[in-house]
Amino acid sequence: MAKITIDGNQFEADNKRTIIEAARENGITIPHFCWHPKLSVSGNCRMCLVEVEKLPKLVIACSTQVAEGMIVHTNNERVENAREAVMEFLLINHPLDCPICDEAGECKLQSYSYKYDQGYSRFQEDKVHKPKRVELGPRVIFDAERCILCSRCIRFCAEVAGVPQLQFVQRGDHTLIETFPGESLDNPYSMNVVDICPVGALTSRDFRFKSRVWEMSFTESICQGCARGCNIEIGARNNEILRLTPRQNDEVNSYWMCDHGRLDTFKFVNAETRIKAPMIRKDGALIEVGWDEAIAKVASELKSFKKAEIAAVGSAFATNEDNYVFQRFAREILGTKNVDFMRHVVEGDEDNILIRADKTPNSTGAKELGIAPGEGGMGFAEILHGIKEGKIKALYALEDDLAATPEVAEAIAKLEFFAVHASNENATTHSADVVLASSTYAEKNGTVTNFRHRVQRVRPAVTTLEQDRALDGFEMSRWDKFAAQNDTWGKGPRRDARASWKIVSSLATLMGAKFRYNSADEIFNEIAQKVEAFKGLSYLKIGKKGAQLKAKASVAA
Amino acid sequence: MERYILPEIPDYHKLEVYEQHGGYAALKKALGMKPEEVTDEVKKSNLRGRGGACFPTGLKWTFMPKQTTKPKYLCVNGDESEPGTFKDRQIFEFNPHLLIEGTAIACCAMGITTAYIYIRGEYGKWIKMLQKALDDAYVKGYVGENILGSGFSTNIYLHKGAGAYICGEESALMNSIEGQRGYPRVRPPFPAQNGVWGCPTTINNVETISNVPLIINRGWEWYSKIGSPKHPGPILVGVSGHVNKPGVYEVATGELLTDLIYRYAGGIPGDTKIKALIPGGSSTMILRGDALEGVRMDAESLKAAGSSVGTAGMIVMDENTDLIRVITRIAKFYYHESCGQCTPCREGTGWLWKILKRFETGDGQTSDIDLLMDIANNIEGNTICALGDAAAWPVQSMIRRFRDEFEKRVSKTPNGSPEPSDRNRHAEKTATVSL
Ligand SMILES: Cc1cc2nc3c(=O)[nH]c(=O)nc-3n(C[C@H](O)[C@H](O)[C@H](O)COP(=O)(O)O)c2cc1C
Ligand code: SF4
Ligand code: SF4
Ligand code: SF4
Repeated sequence: MAKITIDGNQFEADNKRTIIEAARENGITIPHFCWHPKLSVSGNCRMCLVEVEKLPKLVIACSTQVAEGMIVHTNNERVENAREAVMEFLLINHPLDCPICDEAGECKLQSYSYKYDQGYSRFQEDKVHKPKRVELGPRVIFDAERCILCSRCIRFCAEVAGVPQLQFVQRGDHTLIETFPGESLDNPYSMNVVDICPVGALTSRDFRFKSRVWEMSFTESICQGCARGCNIEIGARNNEILRLTPRQNDEVNSYWMCDHGRLDTFKFVNAETRIKAPMIRKDGALIEVGWDEAIAKVASELKSFKKAEIAAVGSAFATNEDNYVFQRFAREILGTKNVDFMRHVVEGDEDNILIRADKTPNSTGAKELGIAPGEGGMGFAEILHGIKEGKIKALYALEDDLAATPEVAEAIAKLEFFAVHASNENATTHSADVVLASSTYAEKNGTVTNFRHRVQRVRPAVTTLEQDRALDGFEMSRWDKFAAQNDTWGKGPRRDARASWKIVSSLATLMGAKFRYNSADEIFNEIAQKVEAFKGLSYLKIGKKGAQLKAKASVAA
Repeated sequence: MERYILPEIPDYHKLEVYEQHGGYAALKKALGMKPEEVTDEVKKSNLRGRGGACFPTGLKWTFMPKQTTKPKYLCVNGDESEPGTFKDRQIFEFNPHLLIEGTAIACCAMGITTAYIYIRGEYGKWIKMLQKALDDAYVKGYVGENILGSGFSTNIYLHKGAGAYICGEESALMNSIEGQRGYPRVRPPFPAQNGVWGCPTTINNVETISNVPLIINRGWEWYSKIGSPKHPGPILVGVSGHVNKPGVYEVATGELLTDLIYRYAGGIPGDTKIKALIPGGSSTMILRGDALEGVRMDAESLKAAGSSVGTAGMIVMDENTDLIRVITRIAKFYYHESCGQCTPCREGTGWLWKILKRFETGDGQTSDIDLLMDIANNIEGNTICALGDAAAWPVQSMIRRFRDEFEKRVSKTPNGSPEPSDRNRHAEKTATVSL
């Protein structure tokens, strides 16, 4: 450890730390563009120049290691002048097109301009012009004029994604980012460069021009793309999700997420195929009905079968809370031991970065909370077999497109009664007798457990009909907070969907039980009491970054 | 003075001739010494680097770790791309074996088994000549396995540059050897800890290394008495510009600049006065022609005069020289050669050149003179490598010493000044963005 002084404050710092790291650990942010905590040091932007007493020149805080007795100034006149000079240099050839730039509002260059720039330009010459709208890859667009050549994107590809796809070409102020000849920026993590690009040089083909960032609300949630459970932020406007971005969590995903998670796990929330209300099959067609009617229909149908003729299939896509209430219902009300869920493992589709072969966010949670056959009960394969043999006649299933798999579809076709919770039309809803419109992960509170037994929170980012945005703890955009009367979040479609735990609870109540859950956290508190691994946990304790479960455990059958 | 680096012996570049005159005796001698003794000899000789910074060579060698499991490397810098500099070329052409011998001795002193001679890519003819000399040296066992039966082995490879000035900067040079983009590295770590291939490395200039056999042959005491005591030895001075006999002259350090110009380089055509002088390659501070009296070609004297030895490439400019054109051209060179890695140099070099170009065409403003100075000051000392400084110093010194030349070129029709009060005009300018 070394005793160092930064701006008059004394700290102890590990000798291996650089000044920028030591400062950061002690709550002092030294302005920087090219430095990133998870990438190698490139030292090129020169924004973090600081003064170290006894050294003749200013030094860059990102590459200078602390030493015993070091006295650092990050804000004296000399440092401020150097910083102002760096800002001036960065801006002379910059197009200054913030008004049409996607990055505006979350741009380091823009923010630092307000803070550290002199506020006027001394540059009278012609700017250097460079290529714009370059397709670096299928998902990322490059504007070379906005690029400040920090090399973060290059280092990300080489060091994190493990595929050096980008490089500088040309020299001096004509330098550009390019892919290597014949290559494209197409690695499965390519879009992270959009997040770490400190300016608007790299934009997401999917998101660009969709919204100014201050018009969106940002909700902390968990990606539903695989068992990693990357921490994300959901960006929404007008009750529509516009983008997902990774949220730092060193225990799970560092600062990153994969492109699949980013692009393919939210669009169903906005999709035309959304189930807008509960439906009952009448004369062969699914007809929208009220909730009471749908639930009564399921209750009366399920009552007409023997316990052993019913199977209950939970879901690795549903939350812990949904699955917990569902398995209680299956065991206590339906009295069936035929409880399980369907696995979605794509063998080989995994890597040692983030991507997992298990394509569900909550298989660990489903298992841990009792979505498993009771003694002598049937597992998923046996249930399918049972249906084919006529032993299982009724199936009640949580959010999962079971029938997308042909052999499952074949079995389902033989059922006498099939009720399913679903958010979108799919092969499964097409063969269901009752479809219960369920909220997506982005419309409810809950938790999911990742493959390492980490419980993490999902939160509502967009609202359904039954929710009250003001009361249900939604995040606010700057629009939400400061806009006029016609609150913009009220716009956009709102579906008559409900959280699965709520639907199951209504059904249980109708069938004579007392499932009096008013909110997801009430259910979680019950889990925390009843399930050993969850002992002592609460939504508060899970917080933003999740909580590690003590050991594997399951609810007693 | 007797010539040691470029002796007047016909066909000296041929191995037999070189051997006939005692060539490779220093290598034999060094192989019989302890490595530390060789380094010590160089250290005591006070040899200072001829690559631009006058860094003490022996001291540099002692930075190499003695205990290391990694291989060690020597890079001999013959990129020679600094405007006004063409002295290493003479060694390639007229005394390549001196360079090879010096390289082998340096390897021996530092326990190095691989040396690269990085040679300017445009030097086609000299690359061939050096390669021939190297091949001959290999055949005779001066380089390669078990040199002269001593048990010591070292390999020397020629590495051709590809035309970038920045690759003469030692850390960019190492990247270039590794096949990477010619980007200077952030230091620390310094090359002696973490150089080429991540291993301990020493980088020395071609001429520096060529001095080593002389020191080993005749001893440090003899060497340290040549020329200026603090910066001794023979030095190759390239003289170009407005002189009657441009060329490379081998002199002892401490030679009067005026003697170099008038005695060696034959004076100024038409006997006109000297307006300005760049003493050591385009990166060094420009001196006024009327301030050359008594200034000598050595580190101390040139420092006192407000400049530096650099590569001892003197550019002489007579009184009819358009210094604005000169500085504009120099600025263009640094703009063109900036690698673009770090912000102040990448953006600042272009800005300097663009403003200077306006002065060249008579479109400068008085306020631009201070702006130029400010930009240069903001580059200096704030960059990854010394190219930033090299771009700043000529501009700073030109303004300091020839401000009147700039003032003469200020536009007769002022078109505004870049003062804070003048924001609207800037807003207008930046609003015409093409998208
Ligand atoms: C932009 C730049 C270009 C350089 N080019 C050369 C060169 O062509 N040859 C050279 O010997 N040194 C060059 N140098 C200096 C080297 O970085 C290094 O200091 C030198 O090779 C060390 O050799 P010495 O100690 O023997 O002088 C250059 C430095 C800079 C900043
Ligand atoms: S990158 Fe930043 S500073 Fe540049 S135009 Fe976009 S928002 Fe503005
Ligand atoms: S594109 Fe962005 S991340 Fe990449 S070098 Fe340019 S500014 Fe940096
Ligand atoms: S100072 Fe210039 S040449 Fe050196 S690293 Fe920076 S941009 Fe490149």
